[in-house]
Amino acid sequence: MWGNAPSAEHSRTSKVLIRVVLVGMLAFLLGRTFQLQILHHDTYVARADANRLRTTEIPAPRGLIFDRNGVLLARNRPSYQLAIIPEDLPDDDAATDGVDEEFEAIMDILFTLGVPENPEMTLDMQRNLFAVLGRQDFRKILEAHNIPLTFINVQYDVLRQVQQGDAEVQTETVSSVDIERPLPLEGLAHLIQARVQQRQQGNASEPIPILTNLDRGEISIIAEASYRRPGTHVLEKAIREYVYGELVSHVLGFTGPVPQELEDQYIQSGLTALTEPVGLSGIEAAYQNNLRGEPGTRTIEVDIFGTAHGTVGEVVEPVPGQDIILTLDIELQREMHYALREMLARQEADSGVAIAIDPRNGQVLGLVSLPSFDNNIFSNNLTEAYLRLAEDERRPLINYAIGGLYPPGSTFKIVTAVAGMEERVIQPRTVVVDNGPIYLPNRFFPDDPSQAQEFVSWNHHRDFNHGPLTLRRALAVSNDIYFYYVGGGYRDQFIGLTQPELAQWAKRFGYGEESGIDLPGEVKFSVPDDQWKRINWASSWVTGDSYNMAIGQGYVLATPLQVLQSVVPIANYGTLYKPQMVLQIVETTTGRTQEYTPSVVRFLDVSPQTLDEVRLGMHDAVNSLEGTARNGSIEGVLVAGKTGTAEFCEFDPETQDCMRDEEGHLPTHASYVAFAPFKDPEIAVLVFVYGGGEGSSVAVPVAQRILNAYFALKGLGQVAQSAGG
Amino acid sequence: MYEFAQRRVSFANLDWWLWGTATLLALFGIAMIYSATHSVVDPIVRGRWSSQIVFLILSMVAFFVGALLDYRLLNFLGLPSFLAFAALLVLVELYGVEQNGAVRWIRVGGTLVQPTEAGKFMLIVIVAWYLSRYYTERKRLPMLILGLGALAGPLFLVYQQPDLGMLITMLFIIGAMVLMSGLAWSHFLVLGAFGLAGLLLLYSSLEDYMVQRLGMFFNPNEAANINAAYNVRQSLISVGNGGWFGQGWMNGSQNQLHFLRVRHTDFIFSVVAEEFGFVGSCLLLGLLGFLLWRLLRTMDNAEDEFGRLLVGGVGALILFQTFVNTGMNLRIMPVTGMTLPFISSGGSSLVSIMFALGLTQSVNVRRTVIGWSS
Repeated sequence: MWGNAPSAEHSRTSKVLIRVVLVGMLAFLLGRTFQLQILHHDTYVARADANRLRTTEIPAPRGLIFDRNGVLLARNRPSYQLAIIPEDLPDDDAATDGVDEEFEAIMDILFTLGVPENPEMTLDMQRNLFAVLGRQDFRKILEAHNIPLTFINVQYDVLRQVQQGDAEVQTETVSSVDIERPLPLEGLAHLIQARVQQRQQGNASEPIPILTNLDRGEISIIAEASYRRPGTHVLEKAIREYVYGELVSHVLGFTGPVPQELEDQYIQSGLTALTEPVGLSGIEAAYQNNLRGEPGTRTIEVDIFGTAHGTVGEVVEPVPGQDIILTLDIELQREMHYALREMLARQEADSGVAIAIDPRNGQVLGLVSLPSFDNNIFSNNLTEAYLRLAEDERRPLINYAIGGLYPPGSTFKIVTAVAGMEERVIQPRTVVVDNGPIYLPNRFFPDDPSQAQEFVSWNHHRDFNHGPLTLRRALAVSNDIYFYYVGGGYRDQFIGLTQPELAQWAKRFGYGEESGIDLPGEVKFSVPDDQWKRINWASSWVTGDSYNMAIGQGYVLATPLQVLQSVVPIANYGTLYKPQMVLQIVETTTGRTQEYTPSVVRFLDVSPQTLDEVRLGMHDAVNSLEGTARNGSIEGVLVAGKTGTAEFCEFDPETQDCMRDEEGHLPTHASYVAFAPFKDPEIAVLVFVYGGGEGSSVAVPVAQRILNAYFALKGLGQVAQSAGG
Repeated sequence: MYEFAQRRVSFANLDWWLWGTATLLALFGIAMIYSATHSVVDPIVRGRWSSQIVFLILSMVAFFVGALLDYRLLNFLGLPSFLAFAALLVLVELYGVEQNGAVRWIRVGGTLVQPTEAGKFMLIVIVAWYLSRYYTERKRLPMLILGLGALAGPLFLVYQQPDLGMLITMLFIIGAMVLMSGLAWSHFLVLGAFGLAGLLLLYSSLEDYMVQRLGMFFNPNEAANINAAYNVRQSLISVGNGGWFGQGWMNGSQNQLHFLRVRHTDFIFSVVAEEFGFVGSCLLLGLLGFLLWRLLRTMDNAEDEFGRLLVGGVGALILFQTFVNTGMNLRIMPVTGMTLPFISSGGSSLVSIMFALGLTQSVNVRRTVIGWSS
C-alpha cells in the first residue's frame, strides 16, 4: 500500500486556517500598498518630482544705466562662448581597452577648433579651467597625467567683499601653476575631461563653457563643426559693458561672481544661481536688487544621469531688471575727469577727487576719483589687466571721494565761521588784527615764552601780515589767525568758541557721519572732541587743538564728499541734503518710473545774516583782488568759493617722521570748494588733489574749468539770465 | 511492491482557471518588463521582454509536460532527490564559483548554474515524500525529528554558501508542508521550541552582508547600505507615486527615467504599482491570490497525501516569494534579491514554476479513482 489517502484529520479547520493565512498575508501587502499609494501619495509624488524635475534659470537682462540726459552708460553685450555638453560626448567604452573615447572626442574638438596653432586660445581655455577647477585641482589633474608644469609664486591681491557691496583688497602669496604659459594639448584635454566628469554626476545636460569671447569667425567654425562633433555648443551670455570705461567706473562700479563669504547673504536675498554676476561696487552694488530683475525658470525632466527629456509645464519668462537714470551728466563728468587728470599729471600727484553737486537738491552731477580704472575688465574673466590694477599702490579701486579721509583744511573755516556767528562769538563787524604769529603759553611753563606754542597763518610764510580782518575778509584771504581766535579764543583778549560748540557745529554740517550717498564703501571719521581725544590720545583737549580744528587741521578728518556736502547749505541758504546719484528708476516692462525726491538731512537753522556774511566772504575769495581763489572766476557767472591747503603727515619709515620738503614744510593737499551762480546756485564743486600743493594754484583752475564746462553745456543764453549779483 | 492505482487522465479536470491566471500573469509580466527595459542602452537588457516571450512558450510546454507526468512517479524520486540535493550542495561547497563573496554557483559548460534554484523543487518532493510516507498517518515525533534532522545537513550547506534568502525560503516551505501534513499540537510545541533556539543560533552567526541587509531594513539610512537603501527608497517613491490609477503603462517617471533600479527583476512590483496604481497592485496581488486559491482547491481535491503535500509545497513557494518580493518593494521585508513569480524577468524561474504548476495539475487530472488493486 503505497499511497496514503489524505487523512481525515485534514479537517475543515485546517483548510480554513490555511486560507486565512493566505488571505491575511495578501491583505497585509495590500494594506501597506494602500498606505503608500493612497494615504501618502502626495509625499511620494513630491519626491518623484524632486527626482525628475530640474528647474533652470533663464537669466533676466540686467537693467541699463543712463546719465541724466539719457546717455547710455552701462549695457549688456552678447558674448559667445564655446561649451561642451557632457551627455553628448561618447562614453569611455569598456570594450575597447586602452582607448578612452571621451578623451579622444575632446582632443578631436580641440583640433577642429585649431587650438594647436593658436596659443591664445589655449591660454584662454586654461584660464577658464583654472577658474572653475580651482588652483589645487588644476594642479592635481595635470600632475596625475604627467604633464610638465612650471610654477610661479603669485602675490594675489584678492578682492574681498567685507560686507555686501563693500570690497577690500587683501594680499596673499601662493605657489601656483603658471597659467600664462600654454599647456600641451593633452593637458588641456585632461582638464576638460575632468570638468566633464565632474558634471556627469547629476546634470549632464548642462553645458560647460570652455572658451570665452569668441569672435564671429570662430563661431561659424564651431557651428559647422558641431554637426560633425556632437558635444560642442555655442552659448550666448550677456556681458556687462560700460560705455565710458574709466570715466565713470567709480560711480557705476562693476559686477562679478558672488564672493564665497557672502553666498548665504545673497541666497537669503533671493539669488538662486550663485554663478549669476552681482553688483560688487558702485551703483551696480547699491542698486543690485533693482538692476537684477527676476530670472525666469524653465523646468525640464531629467533621468537619473541628468540627461534632459524635454520641458515640463510652462516656461516663466524672466522679468528684466529696472533701468536706472543717474543724476550724473556724462559730459560734465568727462570734463571733470580730464581737467583733474591733467592737473594731477602737472603736479605729479597720485590721486585726486572732483565732485559736482546741485545744491538745490543734493543731486550729484559728476563724481571723479583718480586714479581710475576700466571697469570693463571685471566683465570678462579677470586677467593681467586686473592684476596690474590690484598691484597698483595708488589703489585705483578705491573711490577716494567717499573712501578717503583727509584733513579738510581751510574749507572747514566755513563751519568755524558759521559757528562763531551763531554762538555770538563774532559779529560781522568784529575785527581781529593779524600782526604775525600768535603764541599759546606752555601749559606747564606759562611764564617761559621760549616754550610757548607758535601758531602761524599761511601768509606768514610769505612774510606779510593781513592786518585787521573782518569775517568776510578773513574768509576771502583765508587768514588763519582770525579763525584761531574764533575757534579757541586768545588769552583773555578774545573769548572764542568752546570745544563742544565747535564740535556740535561740525556735526550739524554733516561731519562725523556718512553723507548717506547711495554708493557703497563710504567711510566716516568721528568729529574730534574732548572725550574722543581722551580715548584715542590719552590726553585732554587743549586750546591748540581747537586752533587746529578751527582751520580744518589737526584731528579733524573728512571725505571730500562730506566737505562738499557741508558747503551746500551755504549755497542754498541752510538745507543740508543727502547727496544722491539716482534720478529715476524705470521699470522697463511697464514704463513706470520711480522718481527720487531730494532727501533733506536737516535744516541748519542758521540766521540769514550769518549765511550772507559767509557767502560774501566766499564771494570775495573769488572776486576780490586779494582773494585766494581769484583765478577761479568765470565769464558771465558770479562764482563764490573757498580754498583749502591742508598739511598732512605721511609717515616715512626711513626718518621715522612725517615726510617734509627741503625747507621742512609738510606736504599739503590742495582743495577748493565753490558754487555758482552766486545768487541762485545750481552747482557746487569740490576739487581735491592729494599732496597737490596750494589750493589756489592747483584746485582752483580745475574747478574753474569744471564750472566753465557746466555753464557752457547748459547754454550760455540761459546762464546770462540767471547770472545775477 | 507498489502498483499504480488506475486513474483516468482527464483534462476536463485540469484547472483551466489556474492555467489562465498563470498565463495572464506571465503576459502581464512581459508587458511590464518591456516598460522597464525598452529605454535601456544595453541591448541584452533591452531584449529581455522578447526572450521572456520565448520563455513563456517554453514554460507552456513545461506546464503540460508536468501535467502529463504522473506525479506519483515522483514518489520514487523522494530518496534519490534527497541524495542528489545533498550531493549538489556538497559539489557547490567543493567546486563552487564565487561571486560577490558568495559561493552558490557551479560552472556547467559555459554558464553558471545555481543548484539551489532546482533544489527548492527537489525539496518539495523530498518533504512531500517523507511526510506522506513516514509522518502523516502515525504522527510519530521521532520520525519527524529524524526527517528534519536529515535535512539539517544540506540546509546548513545552503547557509554556508551563504544564501540566507534561499535558506529562509526552504525553511518556510518545510514549515508550511509540515503544518499542512497535520501537525499534532504537542509536536508543534516541541518544534516551535527547536525552531526558536535555531533562530537565535542563526542570528548570532549571521554573515556580515546578512546583518547589513537586515540592518538596512531596520535602519535604511545607514551609510554602509547606501546602495540597497537607495533602491528601496526609490521603490517606495515609485509605489507612492502611483496613486489610485497609476501613471499609465510606459509612463511612470521613476521607471522610465531609471531612478528605480533593478526594475525588471527585484523591483518589478514597483513598476506595476507606479504605472497602474493601487488598482493595478490590487489586481496583480488579487490574481496571485486567486492562483493560490485554486492551488488550495487542487490540494483539497488531491486523493493521496503525497499529491496533496506536493501541491501545498508549490503553493507555499509561490506565496512566500510573492510575499517577500512585494514586501521588499514596500519596505516591510529586507532586500533579498527574490523575484516575483510569473512577473519578474528571468527564464528559468518562469519555466520551473510553470512546470511545478503543471505537476500540481497532474494531481488534479488523476483524481477520479477507477479502482484499487494491490
